[in-house]
Amino acid sequence: MSVLEIIIALPLLAALAVWLGAPARAASLGATIVNLILVLYAVVQYGGKTGLAFTCSHPILENPALSFAVGADGTSLILALLTALVMLAAIWQIQDRPAIFYVSSLLIGGGALGAFLTTDVFFIYAFHELALIPTFLMIALHGRAEPAQRKAVAWKATIYLGAGSLVLLAGLVWLVLEFSGGSKLTFDLEALRNQAKLTPLPDAKQGQIFFLLLLGFGSLVSLFPFHSWAAPAYATAPTPVAMLHSGVLKKFGLYGLIRIALPLLPQGAHVEWVQHALIWMLLGNILVMGLVTIHASRLDDTLANSSVMHMGYIFLGIASGSELALKGAVILMFAHGVSIALLFGLCGRMRNQLGTLEYNKLGGLATHAPAFTVLFAFGAFASIGLPGLTNFAGEVMIFLGNFTEFKAGALTPLQWAVILALWGVVMSAVYMLRAYRSIFHGSPATGLFMIDPALSQRVPFILLAATLLVTGCCPWLLLNLMKSAL
Amino acid sequence: MNASIPLLLPFFSALVILLGHRQLKGAAVLISVGSSIISFIACLALLAAADDKTNNQLLLPFIDVGHFHANIDVLIDKQSRGMMFIVSFIGMLVHIFSLGYMKDDEARPRFFGSLSLFMFSMTGIVLAGNLLMMFIFWELVGLSSYLLIGHWYQKASAAEACKKAFLTNRIGDFGFMIGILLLFGANNGNVNLFDLETAFKHGGPLALGSPGYNASFTTAAALCIFLGAVGKSAQFPLHVWLPDAMEGPTPVSALIHAATMVAAGVYMLVRVSFLIEASPLAAEIIAGIGCGTALLAALMATQQNDIKRVLAYSTLSQLGYMVMAVGAVAMAAKNGHDGAHAAEPGHPAMFHLYTHAFFKAMLFLGSGAVIYACHHEQDIWKMGGLRKHMPVTFWTFSIGTAALMGVPFLSGFWSKEAVLGVAFDSGCKVLFLMGAATAALTAFYMTRLLIVAFFGKPRTESAHHATEAPMVMILPLAILAIFSVISGYDVLATPLQAMKPPHVEGHQTVLVASLLALIVGVGSAIFLYRGKDKDPISIKLFANKFYFDEIYAVIVRVCQDRLAWIVTALERVFVDGLIARLPTAIVARIGAATRMLQGGHMQGYTFLLGGGVIGVVYLVVYVLPRLGH
Amino acid sequence: MITLGHYLVVSGMLFALGLAGVIARRNIIIVYMCLEMMLSAANLALVGFSRFHLVNGLPDYTAQSLVFFTITVAAAEVAVGLAIIVALFRSKQSVDVESVTKLQG
Repeated sequence: MSVLEIIIALPLLAALAVWLGAPARAASLGATIVNLILVLYAVVQYGGKTGLAFTCSHPILENPALSFAVGADGTSLILALLTALVMLAAIWQIQDRPAIFYVSSLLIGGGALGAFLTTDVFFIYAFHELALIPTFLMIALHGRAEPAQRKAVAWKATIYLGAGSLVLLAGLVWLVLEFSGGSKLTFDLEALRNQAKLTPLPDAKQGQIFFLLLLGFGSLVSLFPFHSWAAPAYATAPTPVAMLHSGVLKKFGLYGLIRIALPLLPQGAHVEWVQHALIWMLLGNILVMGLVTIHASRLDDTLANSSVMHMGYIFLGIASGSELALKGAVILMFAHGVSIALLFGLCGRMRNQLGTLEYNKLGGLATHAPAFTVLFAFGAFASIGLPGLTNFAGEVMIFLGNFTEFKAGALTPLQWAVILALWGVVMSAVYMLRAYRSIFHGSPATGLFMIDPALSQRVPFILLAATLLVTGCCPWLLLNLMKSAL
Repeated sequence: MNASIPLLLPFFSALVILLGHRQLKGAAVLISVGSSIISFIACLALLAAADDKTNNQLLLPFIDVGHFHANIDVLIDKQSRGMMFIVSFIGMLVHIFSLGYMKDDEARPRFFGSLSLFMFSMTGIVLAGNLLMMFIFWELVGLSSYLLIGHWYQKASAAEACKKAFLTNRIGDFGFMIGILLLFGANNGNVNLFDLETAFKHGGPLALGSPGYNASFTTAAALCIFLGAVGKSAQFPLHVWLPDAMEGPTPVSALIHAATMVAAGVYMLVRVSFLIEASPLAAEIIAGIGCGTALLAALMATQQNDIKRVLAYSTLSQLGYMVMAVGAVAMAAKNGHDGAHAAEPGHPAMFHLYTHAFFKAMLFLGSGAVIYACHHEQDIWKMGGLRKHMPVTFWTFSIGTAALMGVPFLSGFWSKEAVLGVAFDSGCKVLFLMGAATAALTAFYMTRLLIVAFFGKPRTESAHHATEAPMVMILPLAILAIFSVISGYDVLATPLQAMKPPHVEGHQTVLVASLLALIVGVGSAIFLYRGKDKDPISIKLFANKFYFDEIYAVIVRVCQDRLAWIVTALERVFVDGLIARLPTAIVARIGAATRMLQGGHMQGYTFLLGGGVIGVVYLVVYVLPRLGH
Repeated sequence: MITLGHYLVVSGMLFALGLAGVIARRNIIIVYMCLEMMLSAANLALVGFSRFHLVNGLPDYTAQSLVFFTITVAAAEVAVGLAIIVALFRSKQSVDVESVTKLQG
């Protein structure tokens, strides 16, 4: 029995309990708080260790070798911490909603924890699918749009994610078949990794499989051009679902690339055609989506599109493959998760109180809701990469990591991509400050009235903002968890 | 002496105030002012502990991966010590001045919290031991400037101004970051200022003339880094934010937008002067841009009517001077004047920065006192005759004006002399002539300001009833006035060590030119503006700042908003169309076709069933045997 | 000499006639009759096989017992099927298969 199993089981059991009639808010809050403490305990215990820890395995099948195996290294712990934080914040901020909100949030969070903390490819995949189901249902049932429209949005997201998962499944099966050598199939990640070290595949084949995995994982992360599900889905999803999906669940695709694709196919991302394709796609994320975000005229649109855009930077770290950039990508995953969850949470609150998110109808909110404004500023400035908040550390590590191999006078395509991506940092400042200006600055618009949330309702947002500040000033707190090379 | 006090004290002060000012109430102001005073004392101690060794000490860990380290480490040498003195000294005076100026402002705690945040980040820039740390604090001063310009965010103009300032600086930071990346790559992942200097100085692997030298790379890196300074120090073409930044409270303009933050670009350029010296082309471009900014801004200043805007354009112009000096020193070094203008110990740009900080801060605080006395009236044509109502302010303001114009024996005279001298040595006559012309224009518009605002008769009620400002505001003015006079002399030996360049012989031409410029400027202004009630000359081009704002507005509208609109449309049509809607349409078409088979008619199914059976039988009996199964 | 082939040809013709009726006719009762005809065709084929597949010099009775099964099941089917047809006729006043479309999407 490992602490990780408790961490995974707790939200799922709590969801079951709430479904069976336990008091929804008390049960889910209790479970998530205990969960956060357990994750923190695991993080502290892990300390400066390297490799997998807290491993525990329960065999299920002989051949193919399938077992429910848990285990965590620094990357998975950072993401588990992210999940526990965002899940707590998302559940805490729910107000006057039916129990299904709590159940679905717990299921999404539990599924994400399962995906991050198991080490068997089968279960990594299965847990992610588990988390997708409540996402879909919540958008379709409780989305903030006309029933027909929200159903369409939910279907679009589901079809995209389903198709992505299918491609991903094909890639994973191919991978397992290649490394199992025909005699005995195994889904165990460690066994596959060892096999990959002993008998690496030829580079060309690595490239092909990597590309398949990239498309699969990529569409889960809204990699350009497979992104058009994301913006409407986040804009429509109920607040806790938007927080959990954009903050946590979306990171699953990136986690998969870092945990599965890169170690098993170390040369995959460096095959020339794959690299070039990846560069085009991630520049699409950054530059095209940056412009699309500038064009947005509603806060939820801006946030949703910006979240698509920022994925480009993480892909930039993955494309680089250097240690610095990869660790930067993990930090940025954490940072983006916390900041976008914070922003979506606040955005949902604004919508509930004001009934509109159109920029030209808002203004001057800072006058009546100063605390709300400060919290929003944390999220907004984090997402434009202000130093002192976590996103900056991640972004700068990614940028620097791409320049560790350098020849003066001959920039690699990836380095040109970094320079173009830096322009994206300017663009994100443009749309975020425009949004901030038209929502909070200026004189209060007539007929709009918003007050600060009560102190107990501020807690989840303060939790997220404080996380951004602490890990932003001391990114080594997170880096200490990743002592070993990824 | 540990440098962590001036760095971390304002940080905690800012954190405490900004996050808890409603609980703190009045104490917030005391915390902020107290922290600024303690920081100043710590800086004096830093100056007193004058060991000349360049000292690179680790303060806080930040990022530490493999063999890559980017930490908060401080570099304490003569330059940073001298700059620390300016920042903490003027910072303290502005804190004290604000006690009076912001007395009636409801959001005073927020103001002082942001001020502390600024002190923290500015100290960080000054002490930065590596470029990455400099970049971190570079962005943070941008944030504090944003907060302070937008202090009165209810006003639309202030809200727009702070956004504009931040975004314009972001463009500069874009270049700065590229420059850091290039240097990071070229120097094997080390952006420590000290190590970079070793690499670029004589005999280093990247120095001019060594086998590892690559001219286009060095120029690109130098210009990218320079772009950062262009943003922060408001050089052409990114100068547009600084005049708008005057929407902030006046003490902020004095501290941030005149004395310290805008000078950070110059300070940074001096810090990386080894890089500029390694690239002659970059040096020429930098000198040219600095000189152009100086002249353009001086021309714009001649037609402004807002007292703070006149000073803002004058700041732009003087910053242009400093940047020109940075470029000119590098050019002169190439021309063989190496010994005379080496970056150590004194750099003309730093010298001018240092004297300018005092008199410009004083001028801004003086204008603040005037604005305060005239009930927030800023138009100089609605003032007049203030000389009699506000004698102390008048005299201090006059001293500042004289220092800015370069009246002999005041501080500005010495530093302007040094800048013009190095422009003369650079071997580029245009640089020198434009510098001299700027000096004449400076004398002209400052005399104009002084005459219109302080002399003659009061032109409005508010000017008539103006009274002298309270003691907390007068005291900083007087102290700064004293420094405006003496800061050019060796009295302030210790901070000056770093600032004043060694005296240079043989510049009669420079001396004559600057005196001539002064006389022409002052004379023509007196001739034109004496006793006038409205502006006798009107040049639309200058008054409208060469239409830069309008041009940029068009560029932003076309290149950004229109492009964003087009891209959004294309994204909807093509990406969404090709990836989502086209496959959907195909699947729907196939579905419609195959649907015919599922008509719901039992007999149709039976028919298919029969056909299927026959097909299977045919397959089993005739096809499979032939295949050998 | 009548061989197995003759039986099978007759059985196949019966089956084909039945199938054609099931597919083509509209009257549900006739469809039902044709269905019965197809069953009879199968029965005929089974009896034929039984007769011509000698086990120890005797016909193979396994097939014949299967025929009895089929007849029994067919009788049960008639009972259920005719009941359904009667019920349908009562509700629709028609024995046309096209009129029964309630389960179509």
